[in-house]
Amino acid sequence: MNSSSFKDGHVTSDYSSDNLCTWCDGCGNYGALGATKRALVELGLAPHQVLLCFDVGCHGNMSDKMLGYRFHGLHGRVISLASGAALANPDIPVLAFGGDGACFSEGVGHLVHAVRSNYNITFVLHNNANYGLTTGQASALTPRGEKMNTAPQGSVEETINSMDFVFSLKPTFVARTFSGDIRQMTDVLKAAVNHRGFSYVDVLQACPTYNKFATHEYLLEKCYDANAEGHDSSNFEVARKIAVDTSERIATGVLYQNKESVPFLDRIEARKGIKTRLVDEVETVDVSELIKIFT
Amino acid sequence: MSRVSLKIVGAQGQGVNSVGEMCAKGLKRAGYCVFGLREYMSVIKNGHSSYQLDISNEKIRSAQKKVELLVCFNHHGIKKNLHDLKAEGILLHQTLQWKFSEEDQKFIDENNISVLYLPTEDVLKKLNAKPVLGNVLIASVVWSLFGRSADELKELVREQFGHKPELLELNYVCIGEGASFLESDQPSPRLRPARKGKGKGEKICLPESSEKWKEQLLITGSQAMGLGTIHAGCRAFFGYPMTPASPLLTFIADMQSESKMLVKQAEDEITAAQMMVGAMHMGTRAATATSGGGYDLMTETISMCGVSETPAVFILAQRPGPGTGLPTWSAQGDLLMAVSAGHGEFPRLVMSVSDAGDSFSVMMDAFNYAEEFQIPVTVLTEKHIAESLFTVEQSTFNNQQSTINRGKLILDKKGLSMLKSGDRYASEAPDGISARWLPGSEAPTYCAQSYEHSADGSFDESGENAKAQMEKRMMKMAALRKVIPEPELLTNSELRIKPTSPRLRGPGNSELKEELDVLIVSWGSNKNAILDFIQKEIFITQEQAPVLSEVEGSSPASHKNTRVGYLHYTYLWPLRTEKLLELSSKAKKTILIEGNEQGQLGMLIRQECGLEFDQRILKYDGRAFNVDELFNLLALSPSPSPTSLRKATARQAGIGELR
Repeated sequence: MNSSSFKDGHVTSDYSSDNLCTWCDGCGNYGALGATKRALVELGLAPHQVLLCFDVGCHGNMSDKMLGYRFHGLHGRVISLASGAALANPDIPVLAFGGDGACFSEGVGHLVHAVRSNYNITFVLHNNANYGLTTGQASALTPRGEKMNTAPQGSVEETINSMDFVFSLKPTFVARTFSGDIRQMTDVLKAAVNHRGFSYVDVLQACPTYNKFATHEYLLEKCYDANAEGHDSSNFEVARKIAVDTSERIATGVLYQNKESVPFLDRIEARKGIKTRLVDEVETVDVSELIKIFT
Repeated sequence: MSRVSLKIVGAQGQGVNSVGEMCAKGLKRAGYCVFGLREYMSVIKNGHSSYQLDISNEKIRSAQKKVELLVCFNHHGIKKNLHDLKAEGILLHQTLQWKFSEEDQKFIDENNISVLYLPTEDVLKKLNAKPVLGNVLIASVVWSLFGRSADELKELVREQFGHKPELLELNYVCIGEGASFLESDQPSPRLRPARKGKGKGEKICLPESSEKWKEQLLITGSQAMGLGTIHAGCRAFFGYPMTPASPLLTFIADMQSESKMLVKQAEDEITAAQMMVGAMHMGTRAATATSGGGYDLMTETISMCGVSETPAVFILAQRPGPGTGLPTWSAQGDLLMAVSAGHGEFPRLVMSVSDAGDSFSVMMDAFNYAEEFQIPVTVLTEKHIAESLFTVEQSTFNNQQSTINRGKLILDKKGLSMLKSGDRYASEAPDGISARWLPGSEAPTYCAQSYEHSADGSFDESGENAKAQMEKRMMKMAALRKVIPEPELLTNSELRIKPTSPRLRGPGNSELKEELDVLIVSWGSNKNAILDFIQKEIFITQEQAPVLSEVEGSSPASHKNTRVGYLHYTYLWPLRTEKLLELSSKAKKTILIEGNEQGQLGMLIRQECGLEFDQRILKYDGRAFNVDELFNLLALSPSPSPTSLRKATARQAGIGELR
């Protein structure tokens, strides 16, 4: 087994599950699975020290293909579920995984508000530009005109530029990576988990069965590592520009990070100075002082 | 039993609530049990709103239909609410040179109504006071109409404005003006018509005050529920504004600096529900609250809690539907929804509060059952409970007996070390309740899975597994049914009113040996009007007995009181019917009372045990029952009133009566 061992002696096989993978040959999820396990190990996290939340879609089948505490919830709702969990126990890194169908159509509102709220979670967008698990319908990220299931004459709606959309929300962390580059994805995920706030990680991934327009080969050809070319990830304007424009090349890596980011929980006045976590505080509260205003 | 009612009406934003709340607090402190009913329209300004206070020296829990004193902020109130006055009642208004319609004048004359005009604007101008001080002025006039000392009112404003000496002084002056308003010696042009007959002067006779109410709390259902939520160890609250759940969200947010609870207004109800479940899964206690439309959006999440066996607490504050319905009014139309919300079959608990007291006390139980059985729990309330003002004993809130029970949650190192992943959803767990442990615990991990799953949360689509897991989960329902409390029986004697029937005296009533004349079954806010009705019915029977004996020449002893039992359901699903069946077999007549069109609890009862009620009283006009209409509808007086009369009353009240 190809395991990498790092500090605390964790190895990727600690995260291995006995369940067999069920994705199509050449699916980008294999790369995403490998990079996720690797990132967690390199961060020095044992499986019991993380919470991984999965949306419903092909990527969600990862929920029993690796270990770690996991919650596989509803379609479109993973960001809210993960955010609530993260607020309850800020010491446990929370990662939320969702597809472009779930997070740019069904649950796009949650994405908008999670960016605004800056919950301290890592959101991994499995972006294969279509609904894979329901057999290849167009998503909001599918290029207009592509012939898809339920759109045999080609989709007629405008495509959302996911990066333009996310940058319009004043994010504190934006990265993009490609399922064929496991080393880069590992580093990006590590940076995302270490970021204090909402980390948006757009994973461009191949869908060999339904996506004939942005194939593995296409992505391999067009993606470049912006960080390696000296991109300054603290520059919001430049980051937005290179993120949005994918006409010639596709910039990957950590595109933007606000190092001054203050996550949601730290903004709550009532919680300032409190050392305990919500999970530590479940006990009967005496209300005899609080009722005095009603006498 | 004597009761006096005051109704304040006006446009929303005019100060109806401030005057209502000030009077309520003052009266409670003066030694009265107060029930406050707030009615308003779904607008911010200019809609017609009212605040009715029922005042007694005995326990009261509901409103009466007609009032002794009506205070009108504007002329719309005079037109709309004049006929809410009882004979000999007083109308206090501030509309200059108001001319009554012919019909209204006739009503005033025939009922000997006193009309008082308070020139609020002139008085304020004279005092150089801002319009907002009109509220204190009006409250002060009300105060003197009740014959109470102005000092009591001064004490209240001192608490509110003590830190602003100038404003406080102005408040005092307004109180003084109001107090002297009725005392002016000259024949008052304000008072017309001149009182005829014996009259009782301008004063309204309050019953003798009683010390026992002074130390009690005056609190709304929402505030009590908020305190109950805090008390139960809930550490995170997620909501989205929707009447009548919003006052709870507001109260919990206002309590943040004391409770240190995390309060989050989410972008929609789905988010609120999902964040709550995420927080619960991580291991804290969290809740969300909404009304019918928002609960609709939460139902998929409820189903997810069912299959993933995640504890969750949903508060559903009912208002009339369907659709947007009547946003600021009350209903009990969402019971069946709560019982069946969410796709698929899974265990759940549905319970309902009835007043401010149990709005506090059931919250600990809600969280405990959610964690013990790892199920979604829905706590029903109603606009009528959430926004009404109740007088409640302090001891209700100081109950140290309620403790947290987290069921099979494993937190200790030793327990965790013995776990294996497959313990999480082990289908052989007794009662279907398997071990639960939290993310971050040093133990084997599992997947909380909304797909059908095997013991460790892995996908498993085999028929054998699907059957085993379904049976595991549904076993919890049978176990739950065994431990939830039976409905509570309240009878004449438990109301602490001298029972006139010796057969109902004696220790306890749970083992009712004797027959009941009537068994009333209901849930939610109806309890209040029903108990007030029983109290009033007994009172009237007792009062009338000597009168009747004079008239009819019969002896009072032969005048037997009707034996009424009220069976109140707090736990609605799963539904326990053992006690109901036992009692109904001993009752001459069974009556179901509900605030919905279909008789939803009745439907569940029929489904579970086949029982049919002799009579159903159903109300679905957006208003909770008041004690007088119940009195008319039930007509339990010794000489039974003709059915046709009851039906006529029912139609008049917008109440459906079937069978």
